[in-house]
Amino acid sequence: MGERVRGISRASYAWRIAATLLGIGLLLNGSLRMSDDVWPFGPLSQYAFSPADNETVVITRVEGLLADGRRIDLPLRVETAGISRAEIEARIPQITADPSLLRSVTDGWSSRHRKEPALLQVWLVQDQTRLVDGRVGQTRLVELATWELSR
Amino acid sequence: MKGLRSIGSWFLPVLPESRVAVLRTVLYLFVIIDIHVFVRDPIPLSRHPELYQPLMIERVLHLPPPSVPLTITLYLILIVGCLVAACNVLPRLAGGVVAAAFTWWTAIGMSYGKVDHDHLALVVALWVLPTVGVIADRWRSTQRSAQAGWALKSIQICVVFTYFLSALTKIRSGGWSITSWPESSILLWAIIRRPHGLGQFLLPYPELLHLMQWLSFGAELTAIVVLWLRGRALLAAAIFWMGFHVFTLAILYIHFAPTAICWLAFAPLERLGPWLRRVKARRWQRAGWRPTRHPVPVLRDNAVNSGG
Repeated sequence: MGERVRGISRASYAWRIAATLLGIGLLLNGSLRMSDDVWPFGPLSQYAFSPADNETVVITRVEGLLADGRRIDLPLRVETAGISRAEIEARIPQITADPSLLRSVTDGWSSRHRKEPALLQVWLVQDQTRLVDGRVGQTRLVELATWELSR
Repeated sequence: MKGLRSIGSWFLPVLPESRVAVLRTVLYLFVIIDIHVFVRDPIPLSRHPELYQPLMIERVLHLPPPSVPLTITLYLILIVGCLVAACNVLPRLAGGVVAAAFTWWTAIGMSYGKVDHDHLALVVALWVLPTVGVIADRWRSTQRSAQAGWALKSIQICVVFTYFLSALTKIRSGGWSITSWPESSILLWAIIRRPHGLGQFLLPYPELLHLMQWLSFGAELTAIVVLWLRGRALLAAAIFWMGFHVFTLAILYIHFAPTAICWLAFAPLERLGPWLRRVKARRWQRAGWRPTRHPVPVLRDNAVNSGG
């Protein structure tokens, strides 16, 4: 059982070389010039920016008022709300303009927590932490939008 | 002309097809895990058409906006396609279907505002693996080919580029400066935003975080040399990068599993088939019987024993 080598035609060889060069070209172009829009050839921009040492770090959250009077955090994860924090953060301008877009969170949360009392109102909030000279400073809670659910 | 040929043979090295066969099994099974654990949101996200913003690939191909029936169909196609392709059955058809379906599935997951970058190598792997075609004897193949070598090299390049290009992006986003990212407060920012990992304990030490940023930036920028490493040096590089991923997982809860699994394109997976066969043969020997359908070559010890 000796080792055999499969042959390769000139055309097979050529298209593979061409595809490699095209792929590398697209990747370099994406990283050096384009935005996330050209995925999968976009820049690898996760954690690639450079926050200053006096930056404000935000954690975006959604809080909900339940029919029994409790105000609770609705964790922005796929398992708990059907949508994750990054997706909500990407739509903050649209949500502040039209808070009913928070329906994506309330629907997802309610359908996964059927035993909980109904949601009456939700708030889009941020924990804003100031960095001071590259160290952790004060945190404050800021309300960005609120929406009352109609029954 | 000679130069051109040597460039060609670098992109298309002649490598064992059994490595591709094993890698297919691993990666297609990984895709099934991926759609449940990592890119797991296309079905719930498809309930919110008001938040959908198609990527360029979806606009250019005129893909219909995601709906629940569409994403569930994609899910079912992926499950069936991956199971077939993982067995190295219908590699071009099943592999092609999985490549297209997974690319669309992942694109949907990234069309609601958040784009991740850990899937580059896996998506490319799914597109190149079918091009090797049918591999006779699958895991046990003893054939080598440039077709297999090209597929493996393409995956290797994408793994390494995932690091290298992220370093380029850091230079670009810092205003084309080498120092702006490593000297920034990025890790502090990331740990505050993801307060679940061990990174909490590093918050009081910004200088240590800067040092870690310099180290990771340096490693990413030079990752490309991995393509020229062999043997122990390659193994050391692989262990370093696995350690890097474990580290970011521990301090930030960020995993890069789809990239990490593609490191297997560097591994001598072709040894798995013969190794399994030896283990099986030894077990048969110990049990005192031999398989009836597959004759095992007579080893020297057996020949002596059978004489007595």
